[in-house]
Amino acid sequence: MNDQVGGNQKQARFQRLCQSLRPDLLRFAFWLSRDRALAEDVVQETMLRAWKAQDSLLDEAAAKPWFLTIIRREYARSFERKRFVTVDVDELVAREEPLLAAAEEQDLAEMRAAMFKLPDEYREPLVLQVLMGFSTAEIARELNLSGAAVLTRLFRARKQLRVLCGEDTSLDPQE
Amino acid sequence: MMDCTAYRRSMMADPTDPDRELREHRDGCHECTEFTGKLLSFEARLKRALRVTLSAEEPAAQTVVPLRAKAAPRATAYRKGTFAMAASVLLAVVVAGVLWVAAPGSSLAADVVTHMGGEPGSWLQTDVPVSGVELQSVLRDSHVTLAAGAGLVSYASSCAFRGHRVPHLVIQTESGPVTVMVLVHEGVRKPLRFDEQGYRGVIVPVAGHGSLAVLTHGPSTDLKTVELIAAQVLNSITWTS
Repeated sequence: MNDQVGGNQKQARFQRLCQSLRPDLLRFAFWLSRDRALAEDVVQETMLRAWKAQDSLLDEAAAKPWFLTIIRREYARSFERKRFVTVDVDELVAREEPLLAAAEEQDLAEMRAAMFKLPDEYREPLVLQVLMGFSTAEIARELNLSGAAVLTRLFRARKQLRVLCGEDTSLDPQE
Repeated sequence: MMDCTAYRRSMMADPTDPDRELREHRDGCHECTEFTGKLLSFEARLKRALRVTLSAEEPAAQTVVPLRAKAAPRATAYRKGTFAMAASVLLAVVVAGVLWVAAPGSSLAADVVTHMGGEPGSWLQTDVPVSGVELQSVLRDSHVTLAAGAGLVSYASSCAFRGHRVPHLVIQTESGPVTVMVLVHEGVRKPLRFDEQGYRGVIVPVAGHGSLAVLTHGPSTDLKTVELIAAQVLNSITWTS
């Protein structure tokens, strides 16, 4: 009886954790895939896998990176199931236009479209840092890179993004 | 000694890096201070741009694991039709629009919190006040003066916020640094409390002068204390127009 109550409480806590993290996880999956429908599928699968593997989450404070690792694996698996031949960025932007343009300011919509144009290797660490609040060390661990490599990618990501957004880059450093 | 190129490279890799060497270089270099201001403004917009609203975030559409277990198999999920997708996008836009209209206050709080993320360096705990001239200059455009009773103001900046320049102050209190934003152009009908991304605060209406946002960072200060500080700050403000 006590075991069942404890189990229910644990499940309820895990469910609350999933609900609280879901919006950011969905945003991360969206910026990773640049496809809202795929992002929703990836997050759903992630939640299922996380539910089954919840005992392996020993510390709730570490839940975010734990979920992100599952999302990245699940996203990679989606490539195994689907054969993506080429990626036409303009087509991606056009497809998600209602979402990208749903901003109160025009420059936010432009920045979102510019984010779509960033190469994966720059977009992902930038999203991890800015949206998910990851430190350089955490990004390095998640992406299996050195700290220096992460910093280089973040620098290049912002440099490219600023150019794509038409920012004044006269004071930006060269490579 | 760090040079400008190294400083700017570091900042473009991590604009929130609190490294002392970076701060020292910035304090002594006018061009890099200007560069940093522009970069942080860009960063604040980037953060807001990334916080895109997705349909499944709305409570009615939020599906948690046990419900998903009863849902359609995965293969079906991947075969969503064009109509279903278009309908869900349309629904998301409508729901987002309705929520935007129904809850302007909460989106204002989100924008205030996002703005904080662009100025992490302002949260320093210090006993060094900004100069009176600097403070006056920041407050002048909003037709505000601040009496000494508000506390020690350690940071004052005129920030771009929702298309207007607004005073952004940091006041040192017994509970630590507290940020105050004077939002003359943003009215709220009733006090709005928020606790988001590690920021805890309140936006209080100011009759005839928009609203005042007061917030703290970190777990040490509760919302009641923030509200008391907000009342104290409000009492110290004089509107000059």
